[in-house]
Amino acid sequence: MPDVDPLVNELRAIVGNDYVIHLPEDLIVFEYDGSVDKAMPSAVVLPGSTAEVSEVVSAASRAGVPIVARGAGTGLSGGAVAEQGGLVVALTRMKRILEIDPADHLAVVEPGVVNLDISTAAAEYGLYFAPDPSSQRACTIGGNVAENSGGPHCLAYGVTTNHVLGMEVVLADGSIAWLGGRTRETPGYDLRGIVIGSEGTLAIATKIVVRLLKQPEAVKTLLAVFKEMDQASSAVSGIIAAGIVPAAIEMMDHFCIEAVEPAVNAGYPKGAGAVLLVEVDGLSEAVEEEASEIERVCRSYDPMEIRAAVDEEERARLWAGRKGVLGALGRLAPNYYLVDGTIPRTRLMEVLARITEIGDKYGLPIANLLHAGDGNLHPSVLFDERDPDQLRRTMEAGAEILELCVEAGGVLSGEHGIGLEKQEYMPLMFNDEDMAAMAKLAPAFGSRGRFNPGKIFPTGKTRAPIPHAGAVARTGAGAFI
Amino acid sequence: MAAWGADAAELVDAVNGAAGGPAACSGADAYGIDGVTPKVAVRPAAVDAVSAVTAAAHRAGAAVTPWGGGTRTSIGNLPRRYDVALDLTGLDQIIAHNPGDLTATVQAGVTAAALQRTLADHGQFLAVDPPLPESATVGGALAVGSSGPLKWQYGSVRDVVIGMKVVQADGAVTKSGGQVVKNVSGYDVARLHVGGLGTLGVIVEVSLKLTPLPAHETTVTASYGSASDAIDAALDIFGGGTAPLALTVIDASAAADFKDLESGACHLAVRFGGRPRAVERMVSEAQAASKRHGCRRIRQADGAGAASLWRQAADFGWDTATRPTVGVRASVTPASVGSLWAALQRQGTAPGGRTALVGHPAHGIVQAHWRSDGAQPVDEAARAFIRSARRAIRAAGGKMVVEQCPASAKAGLDVWDDVGDQIAVMRSLKDQYDPRRVLSPGRYVGGI
Repeated sequence: MPDVDPLVNELRAIVGNDYVIHLPEDLIVFEYDGSVDKAMPSAVVLPGSTAEVSEVVSAASRAGVPIVARGAGTGLSGGAVAEQGGLVVALTRMKRILEIDPADHLAVVEPGVVNLDISTAAAEYGLYFAPDPSSQRACTIGGNVAENSGGPHCLAYGVTTNHVLGMEVVLADGSIAWLGGRTRETPGYDLRGIVIGSEGTLAIATKIVVRLLKQPEAVKTLLAVFKEMDQASSAVSGIIAAGIVPAAIEMMDHFCIEAVEPAVNAGYPKGAGAVLLVEVDGLSEAVEEEASEIERVCRSYDPMEIRAAVDEEERARLWAGRKGVLGALGRLAPNYYLVDGTIPRTRLMEVLARITEIGDKYGLPIANLLHAGDGNLHPSVLFDERDPDQLRRTMEAGAEILELCVEAGGVLSGEHGIGLEKQEYMPLMFNDEDMAAMAKLAPAFGSRGRFNPGKIFPTGKTRAPIPHAGAVARTGAGAFI
Repeated sequence: MAAWGADAAELVDAVNGAAGGPAACSGADAYGIDGVTPKVAVRPAAVDAVSAVTAAAHRAGAAVTPWGGGTRTSIGNLPRRYDVALDLTGLDQIIAHNPGDLTATVQAGVTAAALQRTLADHGQFLAVDPPLPESATVGGALAVGSSGPLKWQYGSVRDVVIGMKVVQADGAVTKSGGQVVKNVSGYDVARLHVGGLGTLGVIVEVSLKLTPLPAHETTVTASYGSASDAIDAALDIFGGGTAPLALTVIDASAAADFKDLESGACHLAVRFGGRPRAVERMVSEAQAASKRHGCRRIRQADGAGAASLWRQAADFGWDTATRPTVGVRASVTPASVGSLWAALQRQGTAPGGRTALVGHPAHGIVQAHWRSDGAQPVDEAARAFIRSARRAIRAAGGKMVVEQCPASAKAGLDVWDDVGDQIAVMRSLKDQYDPRRVLSPGRYVGGI
């Protein structure tokens, strides 16, 4: 690693002394993100403008120091961890909402703006920003762009890339360019779409033009409770088969219910094998009809109970249950290893049964909470990291689940990204030629080895077998998915 | 960069050998682009053969242009070189339709109409409405990348792609994405090819996200004395509480080419879909908005009548009956559509001939079509029309593409708009993915 001290002085000249962090005791908070991987950056810089980002990038480039861009650090695959050391560029000072344009249904924001703050600011115009990762009270739009974040409501509304019209970015040579723009179509290759989801390896977004949607006039949230997971899975397929794409369909198994109910009092009944949380929104006429049809579909799978939230308070409580699951899993075991994968939604029943078998095989309970509507699974292996053998079994179970997802026609990650966590699994989905084609992007953007090096592609190293050990202890009740 | 120097027969042999038999089509003349005819046209029936042909061309230094239904090949700058037309209509298999997953995987040469018919049997569709769907292929529609009237409600063409298989310029076959609707595994490389006009790779297979067909559909058409009233009504509906599937304004000149529209008036067509009661309410709100903006007459059409109107709207300018001398597609923000429209109308008659405008205000698209009346030298008039359209579109803060233009008027013209500072990365992508300039050299943005 090159000596960063001269760089620190240069950075201070660019952003001011207060915004360069380089003492080890101060750097510790930048050592990790929402995943478990850790690495100490050599320095952290907090630029306050596009011009400063550009100068910082140029300075780091001249010094040969790699850069890791960082938002709120809530990511779950190690995207913001400075694996090879280097300079962390934290964009949290750039948090201005520059413009809300109610006539064109768009907003222009800086990368450090918190996801939920966009919707809050747009609310006075009856507009909102649709992607809603569970960390939306903390995560930044810049991080959402890097990871192409989803959320429960992306079933009907799509993920980040479907809601970003354009971006101002700083490239690895310090130059500034606009990708896309304010209009819906722009000529040329869709560089905007390539950068979104590139996990900070191609460019640093410094302004983002997001599309805003009209707030739905009506929302209805249903809770359907089943004795068995199979019934809940069948109901999900039944809803889609009826030609309905609800705003969200979330599923939680008995482990999740057991863990979260005493903690949150969401109103999930005891003894249930699975609950579905289904939300429909839109025009009141459509919402009423769809909700009653969803209810009819669910009834045909012999539910223990179906209930619609009668008011906003009950709706919030039902969602609080869903959002509190991860934090509450600590009641069942000291640690969990959260796996993120997507499968074709018609194969839910079979894949969930096989995940239970995997748990049995390794002697570990696996809690399932999932964005069931789009087949995005989050099996969480429950274990105690103090027992090295449990730890080993957890990692093997996690690997087997990912293999299962791919074998069932699915993918390695639905919304958390590859980062450091899954880079060694990439060959399950892609051969060398596929990856070689992907690997041409970084040289084309001039960012190879400069922006977030060592991510996404397999290194050939065996992973240290502790991806998420301790994640509960670190993130506690604020843990997000 | 060695251009193809040997004679055509040798290239035909190389291509035939690569395609594993006599796959070359006779009549390469049918594959002309801007008056340039390729030396050979080949229609492989398998991905491996596409790969072999591309690899052979790569070795030979020949230039290849992927070809779908041939419906929109007028888009692009003049070809710098063009040796092989790679007709992909032989890749016409629907590999899988998984109704329960709302996904399908198809070969690139499947026509849009054939796919929609298969999907409709299961109450589903692909929310993409390219012109001339009986000929237009799925691969071609993606390579062009622009969206039809349905874009507002269902998103861009690029948003329906969940996985893609591509033949690279050197013949390597690579894939990205997957077959599920939510996926962040690896780079989303398909985004380079949607709208890339086949200049970075040949799309051979795609996995697509599908949409349930609306339970009920209806179309409201209102006629106006002026386009600005029609646009105001459209923006009123855009900003209001309802969510139409499509919102299209047709000016009086364009309306003359539509079968069922009253001539001498501007029209706003609004397409609604969904649950019957919700549709009913949206219709009454649209009618109220239309009246607020002084519409003369409101009609409602269902079934075949509505289907025909929307077919004509998507085909406008691409079918033989309405093909213009020059066709310009502009993209502005919704609020700028009105001022752009007015500016285009003011300058429209300047070169003589007839200008027609069709627009989708909710996603800011305006198509400006000019048809020569033969009174002036056509190239000069075409260039004059393009110059003034460009001025108007720039003034409105928009971007444009000249989609149709006489080849003779294209010399020295970049049909694409200025893309700004990002051009450096775009050129560098071409260097990475097609260093020998095999794929449609010259036709893309900035002469890529």
